[in-house]
Formats: sequence, C-alpha cells, structure tokens
Amino acid sequence: MSHSHGNHSSAVVLEQIKAAVVAAIPDAKVEVSGGGGHYSLAVISTVFAGKNPVQSQRVVYSAIKHLMAGDGAPVHAVDSLKTSVP
Amino acid sequence: MDASLRSRIQTLVDNNPVVLFMKGTRTAPQCGFSATVVQILDSVLDEYETVNVLADPEIRQGIKDFSDWPTIPQLYVKGEFVGGCDIIKDLVASGQLEETLGVASPEVAPPVIHVSDSAAAALKEAVQDGNEFVRLEISQGFEHGLSIGPRSDTDVVVAAGNISLVLDRGSARRAAGVTIDFVDTPNGKAFKINNPNEPPRVQQISAADLRERMNKGPLELFDVRTPKEREIARIEGARLLDRPAQDHIMALPKSTPLYFHCHSGMRSQQAAQFFLGQGFKQVYNLEGGIDAWSRDVDSDVPRY
Repeated sequence: MSHSHGNHSSAVVLEQIKAAVVAAIPDAKVEVSGGGGHYSLAVISTVFAGKNPVQSQRVVYSAIKHLMAGDGAPVHAVDSLKTSVP
Repeated sequence: MDASLRSRIQTLVDNNPVVLFMKGTRTAPQCGFSATVVQILDSVLDEYETVNVLADPEIRQGIKDFSDWPTIPQLYVKGEFVGGCDIIKDLVASGQLEETLGVASPEVAPPVIHVSDSAAAALKEAVQDGNEFVRLEISQGFEHGLSIGPRSDTDVVVAAGNISLVLDRGSARRAAGVTIDFVDTPNGKAFKINNPNEPPRVQQISAADLRERMNKGPLELFDVRTPKEREIARIEGARLLDRPAQDHIMALPKSTPLYFHCHSGMRSQQAAQFFLGQGFKQVYNLEGGIDAWSRDVDSDVPRY
C-alpha cells in the first residue's frame, strides 16, 4: 500500500508539527520523530494536568489538525502520541 | 457537519454497545492501527460492531468531525468516545480494558512461577520497603521485564519462593510456568527469564556455531540470495532457495531444523520468519550472513 504525500520534506514537516504544537501550547516541550507521512509525538506540558488521555490528545490533535487534513496532507498518520505533565 | 450525517453516526453509536470505526473489516483490516485494535477487542469480546470507513467516504470524514478526533480507528463504548489505537493499548497495559468495555473481567488465577534461590535473594535486596513490589511484565509479543515499584488493585499477586511478584492481568495470563533465574553472563550477573508459553522465534546462529553443526552432518541450509550473488560467493552445502527448494521444505516434518543465510542476515531473517509462520519450530538465521562466514569461518569464500 503506498500513499502519496506530495513533495513534503520530512525535515520541514517535523518543524511544522513542532511549531504548530508550540503555537497552541506555549509551554510545551515537543519531541517529534518520523518521516514519509508517519510521525510520532511526545508532548510535555502543564495543560495536560487533570486531563484524561482523550482530552490530552485532543489538545495536541487540534493543534496540528491543519497538517492532517485532506488526502495530500503532510501528516498522514500519527503513529504514537504521548502526552505528559512535567 | 451535515445534520443527516450527524444523526446517522449518532444512531450507530447509540445502537451498538461497542462500535469500532475502522479501515477495513473485522476479518480483513486494511491498516495496521485498525488491525491492532481488532486483535485487542477480539481477545476480550465475542461480538462487537465495526464500521468500515473505507466503504463510506461520508462517514470517513464525518466521524473525525463527530468525535473531534483526526485519526481512524475510533472506538465508542455505550455512546462514549474511548479513543484511538494508542489509548486502547494503554488500557490493555493498565488492565482497564475490560472495565471500559463493560465486560466482567475474568478472574485470573495466579500463575505458578519458579524463582531460583539466587534470583529471589537478588530481588529481595532490590526491594527497599513494604510499599514496593517486584513486577513481572510480559508483553503480547513476549518481551519480558522485571521492575520494582508500587502495585495496583487490579494486579495479580504471586508468591514464588520467599518473595511476592505482581503482574498485570495480561502478563499473568502469559506467565504460567515461567522461571526466573539469576545467572552469570559476559556482562556480569543478570536475570534470566524463561517462558514456556512463548511462541517459537527465529534463532540467530553464529557462523562458527553453524560450521560446527555442519561438521556433525548434513543439515537443511538455504541461501536466499540471487543466483548472481551465488556466482560470486557461496557456502558449500547451502541450497538456493528457489521454488523446488521451497516445495522441498514444505514437505519436511515441522520439527526439522531449518537454516537460512543471505549476504548480511536481513533477507534470510525474512525467509526464516516466513517458515516459522508455516509451523516450523526450529528456524535459524545465520547472523551476519555469508559475510560473517567469510570473515570468521572460511576466508576462501570471497567477500563482496
């Protein structure tokens, strides 16, 4: 099975993801890895305090929504998303 | 989103106690994440509903908006959004899956585990106080881990020798007959865990060990490289894994040890994995391939 991801360079997408998360969650420490449309994120921030996993992941997903929309999106799949409180 | 689409999804979620929006079907998932969740649900539920979003573009986009969740699969239980693959895997790890799905979590009888005297002594030393326990974790892929820490209410507690072990329910189901020993290794003392429930794996064999076994008599050794590579270098006694060789293997008793090699050990690992999947119990991969063979065993074999 092959997916087309246009001409999105992985290095650029990694930076885009990071920037998008920090824009939405200013105190976030973000680690992003991956490439070829598949990315893994680990985000540490105080905003996750008191939130369950679904609520926490929603915060991150909503921050990077624009990178995941549509068939030619730079982010095809988030292989793993870990959220934690510092 | 469109009101009629919203109500279609709402009806699916309301009318099914457990419904998984996924790519593909329960019997034929079309994506790794969906397949993982199906495998997990199958392990605890006989019946649940699945919706193949690939067969319904409207729902494929609609469910993302409905849940405010950008990825598939998505699991709903009793009308509530539970999460995607990551979250469901975490529920398994923490032993909360059954509770979330509203099924009676089956009582897990404490498995019998044997801990050698030396292992028990070493573990006892590592436990600082009464609030700490030795945890044995066994993943679904049968990776084993020992750690020290607190216990949770859902843990299964096993008395072994003069120490107690705690295991999450999933680990406990995979732990019957496990032995834990404390042995000398080249890097010092280490715990050695042996699990009889572990399915057979591809075993790595060094060039020197393979040579030793070949000296004792003929064995089933296969070369998975191309005929062109065989013209450059070959191990005496290794047969090209072509179609007739594959048929030959399939006709062998499943207890026959099989050996595979390639140039550096990657391609032959794949081949070995394949025959393991066909039911062979003792499957070996030459570690480092013919390259290691030339280097360590027979320098007459050219390296390339």
